[in-house]
Amino acid sequence: MPKIKKKRIGFKIDMTPMVDVAMLLLTFFMMTTQFRPAEETQIDLPASHAPFKMPETDVMIVTVNKEGRVFLGVDAQKLRAQLFGEANKLRPAVEVDRKQLHDLLIQARISNPKLRTLVKGDKNAPFGPVEDILDILRQVKITRFNLVTEMDKS
Amino acid sequence: MAALDSGEQKSHGHGEKKHKKKHRIGFRIDMTPMVDVAFLLLTFFMLTTYFSKPQTMELNLPPDEKSQVEVAESNLMTLRVAADGVIFWCIGTEAAHRVELKELRKFLEDKNKENPKLITLLKVDREGKYSMMIKLMDEIAIAKVTRFSLAPMNEFDKRQIQKARAS
Repeated sequence: MPKIKKKRIGFKIDMTPMVDVAMLLLTFFMMTTQFRPAEETQIDLPASHAPFKMPETDVMIVTVNKEGRVFLGVDAQKLRAQLFGEANKLRPAVEVDRKQLHDLLIQARISNPKLRTLVKGDKNAPFGPVEDILDILRQVKITRFNLVTEMDKS
Repeated sequence: MAALDSGEQKSHGHGEKKHKKKHRIGFRIDMTPMVDVAFLLLTFFMLTTYFSKPQTMELNLPPDEKSQVEVAESNLMTLRVAADGVIFWCIGTEAAHRVELKELRKFLEDKNKENPKLITLLKVDREGKYSMMIKLMDEIAIAKVTRFSLAPMNEFDKRQIQKARAS
């Protein structure tokens, strides 16, 4: 029998430092992570220099996607069940028309007077639906609300 | 590969001392599965995490449309945004002029310096883009124009824009 041409030498690499770093990173990410909230539609936020952070609790979000469809969502599951029915409890937002939006905004404000209103429009959304929403907000006497934007890098 | 070694195997032979303690036997734990899982988790957290929280722009609307405020025509600047995103400005009912978005900030600052009583009215075409409204409101905020309001665009505004385009 011919000899084996090249004998492989068994080798070991000490992976300990790498694993240490990986564990550190893992702990870091586990501590700092905040899960992206579920969304009914994909929204591309417009950019602005506005300084306020988005509030996270007690909010209702009126979303306008790029086709101009309007969705309403609230953060509390209980309120969601109350507004949109038990079946829609787990959905982050429900599509509404102008009339429904008007009534639901009033109902939501009655159920939780602390609710803050956020308007979240897609960058490419037409202005028409947004104008309608502003009009509805004026009708239901929500005079203070926030427009959600992304931090402008420039 | 990733293994824990007690490191006592080698000293097995000549580690015999007079007082016979309980002798530890060298052991190895294969850490590979744990590290695998750790890496999986790491990738998961790295992918799902997001750092930049969205910003918000606060907006106050007047309580209802009936509360009309009388303003002198010379103190009212109207900014109109056409459907294609072109911006026109005019003071009072004068003819409209074009202004570029890039120059808007400087322009607003200058105009407000000239006339500190100036009120800015923003009108965006319904066919226009929402981002235009945000951009303009942002510029207005940066230029520190506090007296400004939003109004719907009517036929008159559209005619003004057409006239400005024609000239």
